[in-house]
Amino acid sequence: MKILVVTEQRQGKWNSTSSETLVAAQQIAEAASGTVSAAVIGKGVSSLAAELAAKNLAEVLLVDHDLLENYTPDGYAFALKQVIEAAKPDLVLFPHTYQVRDFAPKLAAMLGKGMIGDCIGFRDQGGKLVFVRQMFQGKTAADVTFTGAPPWFASFQSGAFRADLLTAHAGGKAPVNAAKVELKAEDIRTKPLELFKEAKSAVDLTQAPLIVAIGRGIKAPENIAQAEALAKALGGELAASRPICDEGWLPMERQIGSSGQTVAPKLYLALGISGAIQHVVGMKGSRTVVAVNKDENAPIFEIADYGVVADIFEIMPALTEELQKAK
Amino acid sequence: MTVQREQLEADVLIVGAGPAGLSCALHLANLIKKHNGSGAKPELSAENIYVLEKGRELGAHQLSGAIMNPKALAELVPDFEKKAPLDTPVTDSAALIFTQKSSYRFPVTPPPFNNAGNYVISLSKLVKWLGNLVESSGVNIFKEFGGADLIYEREGIAGVITEDKGLDKNSKPKANFTPGYELRAKVTVLAEGPRGSLTKQLVAKKKLDNINPQIYGLGIKELWDVQPGKIKPGYVAHTLGWPLSTKMYGGGWIYGLSNNRVSIGLVVALEYQDPRFDPQAAFQTWKMHPFLRNILDGGKLVRYGAKTLPYGGWYAMPRNYVDGGLIVGDSGSFLDSQRLKGVHLAMKSGMLAAETIFEALKSGDTSSRALKPYKDKIDHSYIKQELWKVRNFHQSFRNGLLDGFVLSAFQEITGGHGLIDPLRAHPGFEAYGKIHGRPEPERFKGDGKLTFDRLTDVFHSGTRHDEDQPCHLKILEPNVCVYRCMEEYGNPCQYFCPAAVYEMVTEGAAHRLKINFANCVHCKTCDIADPYQVIDWTVPEGGGGPNYEGM
Repeated sequence: MKILVVTEQRQGKWNSTSSETLVAAQQIAEAASGTVSAAVIGKGVSSLAAELAAKNLAEVLLVDHDLLENYTPDGYAFALKQVIEAAKPDLVLFPHTYQVRDFAPKLAAMLGKGMIGDCIGFRDQGGKLVFVRQMFQGKTAADVTFTGAPPWFASFQSGAFRADLLTAHAGGKAPVNAAKVELKAEDIRTKPLELFKEAKSAVDLTQAPLIVAIGRGIKAPENIAQAEALAKALGGELAASRPICDEGWLPMERQIGSSGQTVAPKLYLALGISGAIQHVVGMKGSRTVVAVNKDENAPIFEIADYGVVADIFEIMPALTEELQKAK
Repeated sequence: MTVQREQLEADVLIVGAGPAGLSCALHLANLIKKHNGSGAKPELSAENIYVLEKGRELGAHQLSGAIMNPKALAELVPDFEKKAPLDTPVTDSAALIFTQKSSYRFPVTPPPFNNAGNYVISLSKLVKWLGNLVESSGVNIFKEFGGADLIYEREGIAGVITEDKGLDKNSKPKANFTPGYELRAKVTVLAEGPRGSLTKQLVAKKKLDNINPQIYGLGIKELWDVQPGKIKPGYVAHTLGWPLSTKMYGGGWIYGLSNNRVSIGLVVALEYQDPRFDPQAAFQTWKMHPFLRNILDGGKLVRYGAKTLPYGGWYAMPRNYVDGGLIVGDSGSFLDSQRLKGVHLAMKSGMLAAETIFEALKSGDTSSRALKPYKDKIDHSYIKQELWKVRNFHQSFRNGLLDGFVLSAFQEITGGHGLIDPLRAHPGFEAYGKIHGRPEPERFKGDGKLTFDRLTDVFHSGTRHDEDQPCHLKILEPNVCVYRCMEEYGNPCQYFCPAAVYEMVTEGAAHRLKINFANCVHCKTCDIADPYQVIDWTVPEGGGGPNYEGM
């Protein structure tokens, strides 16, 4: 059995699940008396290919092309289709990464094949290769096998195999062979933009020393600006009780309470918040709680250190003005 | 969205790990073990029995008073008295009449209220224990998975599709999106509890209704830890009267558990006239009665919950067998509304279903013809004996308590026949009167010690749902809420929901129904009691819902 592992790199760095998938391939090759090759795909990745050549592999295929500098589903699928058609493997294995989830089903479909995704193991069952994948959130495992002619496609879950079991080449180095692929710029429909790192949550309320929180009393989204101005004047963060975030007036990450964040700032200014227990559990650790509410029976006053029974629309602008004066 | 679903095949698929579903699974696994042990063919396997449970844990969605008649459990687990978490045997059963200030005990407790020989239990604990027995018998229980749709085949069903996981609030897939599984089974058992969302679909599609529509009650419960000596373990009281009017059907319960814990609750039939009646507020008001105040004073609320129960009895029992499908437990109307006992009947129905399925699997025929023996077994069991006697009981109370007592007295001396048999029933929501412009009543607030508003109570139900998912409470015709219901009935959903899910909000001149679905305690009241029947309760992402540990 000829096995081809499609490894994954980004900007010259390996995705660690690649090595694990190579281990899976070596173990399958041992059980089913086969050989393992590995493909490295990208632009200017020959040093990565050379690195792989030290492993116990029959061959390393270098798929190097200008149009493969950045990942695109079209570029990867078209290139690998040509590689597979030339190399004729029986089994093509991938690490089950986000990128693989994106292009591998497309690649398999281009070749008229199915794919077994997210496997955690395999078994040789009387000469038939059986893949194991989890169902019901890991409660049960299903045995899945291929019907029809090769090549077969499968991907392995991260952590399913131990990367440190990857064996080195016995007699020096595996040959590195360049795989010829033809790609045309117009075939690639997606245009990659600059890579971005996911920004850390813009706001970390748990670290904020001063919080101005609004509740239903704010009445309409256009009134939020007033609370925002007050928060700015105070040098604090804006937060809210659930109804405000439910309505989409503020993002969910600014929600305080049992289904949001739990905070304990030095000062918690609660504006138009009634103080339902769901909210209170998220802020009762605050050092000083100041509450403003029209309803003198609002439960928020039970935990407030200072309470003002008043209309928040009178308090907010006045307080903002005084704070700005004091600066 | 078209998605490819993974398929899985089972011999038997049970939807719902409550007393009925788990009794079915355990009894069937026991029968299979005995069968295989004797060397009989074909060999069967308990591992091919799957149970789906939408709750986070076994028992998480189980709520009942509860007093249990142990006879079905004794058949299922003969040495149950040594093993089951039964809490405490009933030591005293009282029937009380409440007026606002006083209470009167019936000198002789009427037989339906006599609970000698029964146990006060936590249904959640019992189910958790039963579930562990089921799992150790080899059956697969999939927690955090709900049945979203039925697979229809032949003149019945061939399995279910579980709910899609990882959809955002606009039904777009998130990074963790997993499509629901297509679970196919030779026999699918619907054990969803009262007003099961799949059972509702099946009954409507295959016209399985009986001569009477199902009538439901809503039970609202709190569990309290009270000061030592306030109540004896095993003390059981049922109350009639205040604060419910004589036109309403319902009553309260007070059950003493061990360790100074007490279960209190109020059940109200969902067939009252005032569309702005608030059952949670009525329950809180009931707690202000001197009798309860005395017990609860100095105590602490531990947990809150609400659940509906089927009152309709024998004449509301849907046809409970189709090709490849059976209906058991509360989904199938197995509850004695006079004694308010359903746990043992639910368990027995599950066991009879198991016996039927066992024979069907052996013969390889799971058509409705092969499953009909389920119905015959029910007819020859104590299920029918008990339910037949009270077949007209609940219907007698349609015009209030006084009529009800007279009519049910006649039934008592004629073996359930009474003056008219069958006594017909009407869907509960038809009882609402219109509001005719009456202003909104003030909402109940609670004092925060003895009585609570709905949000505080919901907090104590431990309810949790991922907020970024599609709303599982579907309004089939949203215009009805704003243009008709508001004027005619004042949006009863704002009042009957014991979890403050529904809220009519006004923005300028416009009105909109806001649905706080994350509060939903899965009681199904909205699906039942909406006057236009436009609320459809569907399963949310598995694992969501209340946490009724100890309830």
